[in-house]
Amino acid sequence: MQRSQSVIELCTIVVVSLATISAAQTKKEYRFEVGPRSKVSIVNHYGSVSVKPSTGNSVIVNATTYSDKVEVDQSQSGNRVDVQSHMLPGANAENSRIDYEVLVPGDASVSLESATGPLHVERLGGDVEAEGSNAAVDVNDMSGSHVHVKTMAGPITLTNIHNGHVEIDSVSGNVMLNSVTGPLVRVSSTSGRIQYDGDFGSAGEYRFNSHSGNIEATIPEDASVDVKAQSVRGSVQNDVPLQPKVHTSFLVKEGSSFAGTINKAASSVWLRTFSGKIHLKKR
Amino acid sequence: MTCSEFQRELPEFMEEGGNAASQAHLKDCLNCSGLVSSLEAIVREAKELQASEEPSPRVWNSIEIILRQEKLIRDPLPSERRSILPSLRQRWGVLAWLVPTAAALLVGAGILVYQQRSGNAGQVATRMPAAATANVAIGDISDEQLLQEVSARAPMMRAAYESNLRDVNNYIRDAQDSVNADPNDEQAQQALMDAYGQKSMIYEMALDRSLP
Repeated sequence: MQRSQSVIELCTIVVVSLATISAAQTKKEYRFEVGPRSKVSIVNHYGSVSVKPSTGNSVIVNATTYSDKVEVDQSQSGNRVDVQSHMLPGANAENSRIDYEVLVPGDASVSLESATGPLHVERLGGDVEAEGSNAAVDVNDMSGSHVHVKTMAGPITLTNIHNGHVEIDSVSGNVMLNSVTGPLVRVSSTSGRIQYDGDFGSAGEYRFNSHSGNIEATIPEDASVDVKAQSVRGSVQNDVPLQPKVHTSFLVKEGSSFAGTINKAASSVWLRTFSGKIHLKKR
Repeated sequence: MTCSEFQRELPEFMEEGGNAASQAHLKDCLNCSGLVSSLEAIVREAKELQASEEPSPRVWNSIEIILRQEKLIRDPLPSERRSILPSLRQRWGVLAWLVPTAAALLVGAGILVYQQRSGNAGQVATRMPAAATANVAIGDISDEQLLQEVSARAPMMRAAYESNLRDVNNYIRDAQDSVNADPNDEQAQQALMDAYGQKSMIYEMALDRSLP
């Protein structure tokens, strides 16, 4: 008897909680018709933004709010769509969250900002800018696009990005690049860790710089690179046989720098840290 | 005149000398007079570096391109267009100075790096400590003001901003030490530019971007 009463009370609490949550949530959809190579900008102070490709020429923005302290401002000027979360009096970090799910034409370029994120973009053909102080940023499956990501502490993960410029700046967020190649791939970090797993493609320039964050690159045997690595006050470790270079732009000191080529040295790779550790690994 | 009112008039004060009220406030207020002294030190050091060997127009264009890419400078909006975001000065008042200050730090570092690449290492090395000191002085004031604003607008983010500013300041210090040790080290020069770039990014995020 007591047990069944407890079960009933628990069920009542669950039902009331779910009802409260769904009552507070409000979902709205906004549609915009655009032409080729449209530009979509989402500024969302608190909450997630996820962008995927749609079929057709529409930008579809689904926004979920959780209180009446925040609203969505949206506008369109020709081929440019702007969406911004607008905080109302009484708004704070907890009650002003909006979660966006956005579908854009495959050739659209997107610009996303959120302090907390996370930010997610996949399978677009246009350029991507993603920025957020603490937002986790995740971009995957892009080809021919320029990808620019900036965070202060948010971790950044790029997967399967090819044939575009990739520029990443993060102060303390860890950066993970899986199968990322292109004519220019640059990562700058102060204390975040930089990890690369891939073959560095062909005819690309790769520059990974950090102050105290460790840099780790894992490459297959058939990678074709001209690699230079230097740690001013930290250490370096190389597990990959290198053909030594006749001339280098810096003095190679065992334990704190190395330089050499692998196979045809198609891509240039520069790994530099002030006090972190650099490790070149074989897959 | 209050400090807030004086600091709103600061751009005009730096350019034209200010009015009687500004001058009177400066005499009485240690904080504002310290701020003005630091800004004047940066302007003075930059002019001295510039006078010795004027960088080519290509250098200034390159710096402008970087600042535009970092969105620290923008073309003014036409009057008939309404911006979604309020203007930097209207929104941030005195702290509108922090973004151009951060840009000034970056440009100052760029000028120092260019001079070293031109081979005037001996002349520049003697000037660098003064410029670096001025940069550090204005940086300390700006960092504290930035953190105060972050505390006011998004208190839960203050700790993260403080920690990251500390990391970046360490980066700048170490990179500056490397450049001082070998002014011809191009990698050290690039690291210094990267370090200032990271700091500029933190300011930009706090003042113009992520924080509501």
